[in-house]
Amino acid sequence: MLDVLQNLALGFSVALSPPVLFYAFVGCVIGTLVGVLPGVGPLAGISLLLPATFGMDATRAIVMLAGIYYGAMYGGSTTSILMRIPGEAASVMTCIDGYAMARKGRAGAALAIAAVGSYIAGTASVVALMVMAPPLARVALRFGPPEQLALLLLGLLVLAYMSSGSMLKALAMAALGLLLGTIGIDQMTGYMRYVYGVVELGDGLGVVPVAVGLFGVAEILATAGAPTPPAVIKPRLSELLPSREEWRQSTWPIARGTVLGFLIGILPGSAHIIASFVSYAVEKRVSRRPQDFGHGAVAGVAGPESANNSATSGAFVPMLALGVPSGPIPAVMLAALMVHGVAPGPLLIGNQPALFWGFIASMYVGNVMLLILNLPLVGLFVNILRVPYPYLYPAVLVFSILGVYAVNGSVVDVWIMLLMGVLGYVLRKLDFETAPIVLGVVLAPLIELSLRQSLAMSDGRYAIFVEHRIAAALLVFGLGLVLLNLYTFARRRLDWRARMALADKGDSS
Amino acid sequence: MMPRVSSLVVAGLVAIGAPALAQDSYPNRPITMVVPFPPGGVADLTARPVAAAMEKVLKTPVGVVNKQGAAGAVGMQSVAVAKPDGYTLLLALSSISIIPEADKLFNRPPAFAVEQFAPIALISADPTILVVPADKPWKTAKEFIEDARKRPGQISYSSSGIYGTLHMAMELLSQSAGIKLRHVPHAGAGPALTAILGGHVDALASGPAVVLPHIKAGRLRPLAGWGDKRVAALAEVPTFKELGYPDAEFYIWAGVFAPKGTPEPVLTKLRATLREAVNDPEFKTAMDRLETPVTFKQGEEFQRFFDADARRLAEGVRRVGRVEAK
Repeated sequence: MLDVLQNLALGFSVALSPPVLFYAFVGCVIGTLVGVLPGVGPLAGISLLLPATFGMDATRAIVMLAGIYYGAMYGGSTTSILMRIPGEAASVMTCIDGYAMARKGRAGAALAIAAVGSYIAGTASVVALMVMAPPLARVALRFGPPEQLALLLLGLLVLAYMSSGSMLKALAMAALGLLLGTIGIDQMTGYMRYVYGVVELGDGLGVVPVAVGLFGVAEILATAGAPTPPAVIKPRLSELLPSREEWRQSTWPIARGTVLGFLIGILPGSAHIIASFVSYAVEKRVSRRPQDFGHGAVAGVAGPESANNSATSGAFVPMLALGVPSGPIPAVMLAALMVHGVAPGPLLIGNQPALFWGFIASMYVGNVMLLILNLPLVGLFVNILRVPYPYLYPAVLVFSILGVYAVNGSVVDVWIMLLMGVLGYVLRKLDFETAPIVLGVVLAPLIELSLRQSLAMSDGRYAIFVEHRIAAALLVFGLGLVLLNLYTFARRRLDWRARMALADKGDSS
Repeated sequence: MMPRVSSLVVAGLVAIGAPALAQDSYPNRPITMVVPFPPGGVADLTARPVAAAMEKVLKTPVGVVNKQGAAGAVGMQSVAVAKPDGYTLLLALSSISIIPEADKLFNRPPAFAVEQFAPIALISADPTILVVPADKPWKTAKEFIEDARKRPGQISYSSSGIYGTLHMAMELLSQSAGIKLRHVPHAGAGPALTAILGGHVDALASGPAVVLPHIKAGRLRPLAGWGDKRVAALAEVPTFKELGYPDAEFYIWAGVFAPKGTPEPVLTKLRATLREAVNDPEFKTAMDRLETPVTFKQGEEFQRFFDADARRLAEGVRRVGRVEAK
């Protein structure tokens, strides 16, 4: 423990030196911006700024890039809450209850809770990263294809809890999402699927255009098509801060989101997105009032927003401790280290203590900066809602198109977004929820790849899922969950979801 | 300053007028270097110092643009059809010869053909290295190959993807040594490395820079390299050529290309520029940090290297053929 304190003192001496402090601040500001802008997420932000770091020293570069990553998780919630447009993919779940809160005049409260939740999750997960990185990284490496498949299947079960209406409709949407996720090159054989000569579709549908289309563009279309324009919300200053009751309801979701996010973040894949989905489902499952979800439940904002933040720290575990990327963003950051002649690998922490501990300390500092940066912005951002819709929405649409285009410089992505917008509009009219589609698009390629990799490893024998003990345990757990649900379903026939669906029929337009 | 063209030709071109003048003053506006892969990858990290060094020589901005997608096909296609005026260049990796061949295999309309590019210069060519987890029994490449012969299809390896560079390297070895290995494709070189570090596969062919830290940390053991010569950083590791498998020759290379039809004087100027650029001290430092030695070839020499490499890879793709999924 004394070691850790000594090292941390070294770290803070690096992190609090003016240049490092400056670059951490620049990273946090840019991160908040790319988070706020619809479409542009942390990966695009980091990729665009990577060349700018080539002239800096390694510590400053990595501190700035990390600031963009976790800063984006703070900023991402803003447009989700205010306009139902995910600022980046990990904020999709926040669109649901965050926006519902905003419609009730609680936009300020939702933004403040998202910021504070992000801060707590960010800080707590850095502690975990600092104390447990090497042993945790070794555990993460044991997650090969079979283990990943078992975990992803468990994640799919989560889908069943995501809808506030009919479960059948939610599952239908999840199936649609999984099907859309099969578009693109078949990683195992090289065949192109559903590409029709469009080279850009070879990589499949991007999560960003799909999410921005299904949520943002669909919302804009729905508002334009409404017979009466929605009333402009005029937030009062006194309503900016969360009430005592709202804080109380957020406490446990933030705690659970932090732990869940960190653990999921360590594992390979698009962890911060999946972490927010899982957190939402868990909150809904443990909530005493699950019927509030989808109608402005505070826990539906607090949980996922904390989870996506601590997942970013989790993603740094394998990267710093072993020099292996756990996703596309850590991969770019590893490249940034290599450019500076710092060989990422198992010896990094020992060989570069100033860099590692400076990085850790800068994350503490950065999270404080972001909180100070974001809380006053709450007052500024909610005033966006005062802008009348005929001016606000066209501007938002323009920003969404620019943002989605900017990520890959691909017009095909813009078309995907617009088509998804139309699809989302139609589905809304038919009372389908669209979040399960996004989860399906995220999970389908991962599930397929890990299943087929497992079978390639075992030469086609399914026994591999039993022989790998972690995988077997996870599958048994998942099976237990299914059986438990079938049991309650058979016992009660009409669970609360069905009752909700019936009740909804009465008041839906 | 004048490109190496006989004065007679120059005189003739000047007589033709404006277009020739434009060529003489090449470059008179910024040049774009397309990298068909995302920022942070080998291609990107090579292109940026190259562009910076070219900028110094040409006194004209050289901007790097990442046009990623479909394993590089999107960006390569965009350069293949770009105006051949020397203002759009491509930094490509070995995969430029693989993609058209894979398209042929699946009877797809090819995204582009290798013939649509004019090679300018080779920047680096790193041989791949065969590594195994340190807790596996094979101490030498000979033991590995003998064991693979005894247990065909039992020893597994990860790769950056089907028909990808790391897959091709292993395929060339398998053909040369007459062995059969079990292929587990991954979505990129990063996940492929993670798979071997986690012990989920038995072997990996990888660029030296990526595995060097893990070799030093004692987690991976290098057995042999695919190069013509040994890798400087791993001087004790033999090549497959030394071990009697001369066909197992493979490099992860990076080279600069222009669209076919770019005027010869412009190509000549670009070759001279690159020759000067690779000797720039800052460029050398950048490549040293990436642990990627510079291997400069141009003109005929690069064309020969490129043709031989393309032939090997095309044959590799054809021999793998269409893979039926399990």
